Amino acid sequence: MSTTHAAPGTPHGAGEYEIRLKGHLASRWAAWFDGLTLTRESEGTTLIAGRVTDQAALHGLLQKVRDIGLPLVSVIQVNPDQSSNPTSTPN
Amino acid sequence: MTRPPPEKDLRPPLLATKLYLPGPRESSVARPRLNDHLDRASKTKLLLVSAPAGFGKTTLLAEWLATGPASPADDRSAVWLSLDRGDNDPASFWRYVIAALRTVAPTVGEEELALLAGPQPPPIQLVLTTLLNDLSSVRRDIVLVLDDYHLIDSREIQEAMGFLLDHMPPRLHLVIASRSDPAVPLARLRARGELVELRAAELRFTPDETAAYLNGVMGLQLTTPDVAALEERTEGWIAALQLAALSMQGRDDVTNFIAGFTGDDRYIVDYLAEEVLQRQLTHVRDFLLHTSILSRFTGSLCDAVAGTTGGKAMLDALDRGNLFLVPLDDHRHWYRYHHLFADVLRARLAEESPDLIPALHRSASDWYAQNGDPTEAIRHAMAGHHFERAADLVELSLPALLRERRETTLRGWLELLPDDILNVRPVLSNGFAGALLATGEPESVERYLQDAERWLEPQSESATVDMVVADDAEFRRLPAGIAVHRAALALMLGHRSATVAHAELSLDLLLDDDDLGRGAATALIGLASWGNGNLEAAHAAYTDCVAIMQRVGHFSDVLGCSITLADIRLTQGRLRDAMHTFEKALQIAPTGVGPPLRGTADMHAGMSGIHREWNDMSAARESLARSEELGEHNGLPQHRYRWRVAMARIREAEGNLDGALELLDEAHHLYEGDFAPNVRPVPAVRARVLIRQARLAEAFDWVRDEGLSVEDDVNYLREYEHVTLARALLAKYETERDESTVTEATGLLERLLLAADEGGRTGSAIEILVLQARASQMRGDGPEALIPLERALTLAEPEGYMRTFIDEGAPMKTLLEAAAEHGIASRYVGKLLIALTGAEDGKPTDQGLVDALSQRELEVLRLLGSELGGPEIARELVVSLSTVRTHTRNIYAKLGVNNRRAAVRRAEKLHLMSHT
Repeated sequence: MSTTHAAPGTPHGAGEYEIRLKGHLASRWAAWFDGLTLTRESEGTTLIAGRVTDQAALHGLLQKVRDIGLPLVSVIQVNPDQSSNPTSTPN
Repeated sequence: MTRPPPEKDLRPPLLATKLYLPGPRESSVARPRLNDHLDRASKTKLLLVSAPAGFGKTTLLAEWLATGPASPADDRSAVWLSLDRGDNDPASFWRYVIAALRTVAPTVGEEELALLAGPQPPPIQLVLTTLLNDLSSVRRDIVLVLDDYHLIDSREIQEAMGFLLDHMPPRLHLVIASRSDPAVPLARLRARGELVELRAAELRFTPDETAAYLNGVMGLQLTTPDVAALEERTEGWIAALQLAALSMQGRDDVTNFIAGFTGDDRYIVDYLAEEVLQRQLTHVRDFLLHTSILSRFTGSLCDAVAGTTGGKAMLDALDRGNLFLVPLDDHRHWYRYHHLFADVLRARLAEESPDLIPALHRSASDWYAQNGDPTEAIRHAMAGHHFERAADLVELSLPALLRERRETTLRGWLELLPDDILNVRPVLSNGFAGALLATGEPESVERYLQDAERWLEPQSESATVDMVVADDAEFRRLPAGIAVHRAALALMLGHRSATVAHAELSLDLLLDDDDLGRGAATALIGLASWGNGNLEAAHAAYTDCVAIMQRVGHFSDVLGCSITLADIRLTQGRLRDAMHTFEKALQIAPTGVGPPLRGTADMHAGMSGIHREWNDMSAARESLARSEELGEHNGLPQHRYRWRVAMARIREAEGNLDGALELLDEAHHLYEGDFAPNVRPVPAVRARVLIRQARLAEAFDWVRDEGLSVEDDVNYLREYEHVTLARALLAKYETERDESTVTEATGLLERLLLAADEGGRTGSAIEILVLQARASQMRGDGPEALIPLERALTLAEPEGYMRTFIDEGAPMKTLLEAAAEHGIASRYVGKLLIALTGAEDGKPTDQGLVDALSQRELEVLRLLGSELGGPEIARELVVSLSTVRTHTRNIYAKLGVNNRRAAVRRAEKLHLMSHT
């Protein structure tokens, strides 16, 4: 099951994201994913977390996930940038 | 006059490796359970093979195509295109698709390639229409495979693919292999049963296939539980199975090895690739990692990048060892790594030696630059963040990129360059401005022009940065180039006086040898003067432009300019000069040698309009039929719209007003605005037909929609619309008899006449005078009407105007009879009266048909009376089968029949079969 949550009010989608993959990806793949943090979670998934600059960067990241063939479990925006819209609230 | 140089010289080279149809692999497993799907694919529109990386999509398709069709009776050819990111430029994408098709159908696509390479690329839909026509005459099945389609994200290409799928001939079959579903209407294709899908669930290796692969192909002799464990752990993912097999070769403790990773959640491809790499010697491992930055390679390129000397021997060894090498040609010269394996290698390289990566890209860039592939050289320079180097290469490629119409690619590169590098490179800044203008984004154009211009001023001593120029010749052209871009920008923003000022400045600054620059500046002056209603200046500029374009061999541009020249002459009331302009333009393209020049169809459509005004209706129809026969692909971008308007005017003259409206609606949809002023907008032409049909409410809806009023300032740009408004008001007065309406109309006409006289627009003046005469006539003032009528006749007689009078019908007949009584222009008036009487008697044609058959249709009709079949008729007339079909359809429609025999019978009754 894959879910995408986009917070309203961040037109360029900048902010902190968490991408969850099925399978354990060694931490050496961090460089491949532009320096985002890779965490192995107990239920056999990997969490890729960090800040992306905009929607295009996020899609680039998702393409990299697609290209190595690991199943995508979820994409969550955890902390949208406050600077781009001061009235939005984090979800 | 000489012909243009052979078009192929203009075409950028194509990479043969992208069209290479991969052969069957020795190390693959037969998968008969998938054959059923695949064989259905050769009877359907689209086979979609959609699955993640490493699921064996390419191998399966290569295997299937190598085994040949299910039944030997099927005549099937397959063509292959491996896509890459660079193909997101539509020009590149379609050039490769056509080149792929031509490997099996060499008669297809010649014109389309020439069109794509031409100085004015046509709308892609037009190229596709022509291509589909070509393909429909190919008498066997063609399977077109587009591999790695997930790399295409251009919306323009995706939309064009949708169009292609909607119009594909039945014997063309498309195969798309992709990691994500393509943006084509899959649901619709699915519902119509036109889609066969192979997805991860089908591609996954079954336990039997896994066993056949590991124990059969790879000779591993694994136990059933080991095979089952591997199948379960890899979930039938063939890339992982391949890596596992490589890791297990020569290992004694296979069961332990398998147990070592089947119980956890590690990313199996990464884990197994590590196993495989660890079993390689250090220099092999380094070779793999260092060359992983290349998307394709030869031994020599690998040596340049990895700093080795035995690259070719290494590749042979890797190939023998099944190390994920994919050959890209039959000579095993070019290779690439299996995509998934390459990604694993790159990730490892990024982790182990991130500092090495820029140097590797730099070596690759140098190799490509030396071996004549600037595109790849630029790509690697960018990837290695060698932006100075990339900027140099882009600057030197600039003229070629613009010539090949690859503005989208150019823009993409320039956007990647950091500002501080772009800022000090005036040639690139100016190129950026040009790319933005060409891709329709004027907003930042001025900023880049100013960036470029800064460097033309003397620099102050304290300047901290220096200018960088890679192409000195382009730098010398810069002052004029900037001015031309500024002129184009001004025109795009609708500032016509500024356009002329900048373009004239550019002409002053031009170097003597810069013909193209001169052509561009002159054309801009012509366009702006035209829009301003300064017809003589516009005509002079366009005449210069024609001479320059002819000199540099841009013949289609000569034809394009001729349309404007003729249009100007028509507005000036110089019908003969206009006709002469078209005739002269046609002479630059000698017939019988090569395909006709693009724009030839437009000339014939233009001539049709003049014949119509001269009331030579058969010549008018003939010209349009000739234009149609040449085909839309021989027309300039606006041709489809112009042809329909011309045909609508003929239908209107024939009294088929509904038919005229139909064509005008089509024309309205096809019209695409360009730099040229739209002086005769289709909605206004349509409104005139509505007025003739007495649908005044709808005509006044148009007046309201366009915001027209009798209070408006009158100028050339809106003249046609204002004359149309006057017509609507007169028609209203005729039914309602409200004096204020006719006062409004005559007031407007008076101002319009003054402006037309001032602007030298005699063609417009004649029509306005006719309307003034009609206004007086409606008010019951016959003698008053004769004053403007006499002037109209005096102006119109030398040029032979007819339909401007005839189209006014019975009331004009009354007026002309009065003129005849007063002895005004008696010969001319006599001629007009005879024509008017003929029109009244309802004898528009001599064939007894509403729509007369064209000369060509008569020829086809006569052949339909023979024993010949369609293809023979096509050969007899030296046209394509689809042209014959078009003619046949038209003949049936005009004769009101729906089959060949009925057509012949009806034609015999009408004595058309013997008519010559």
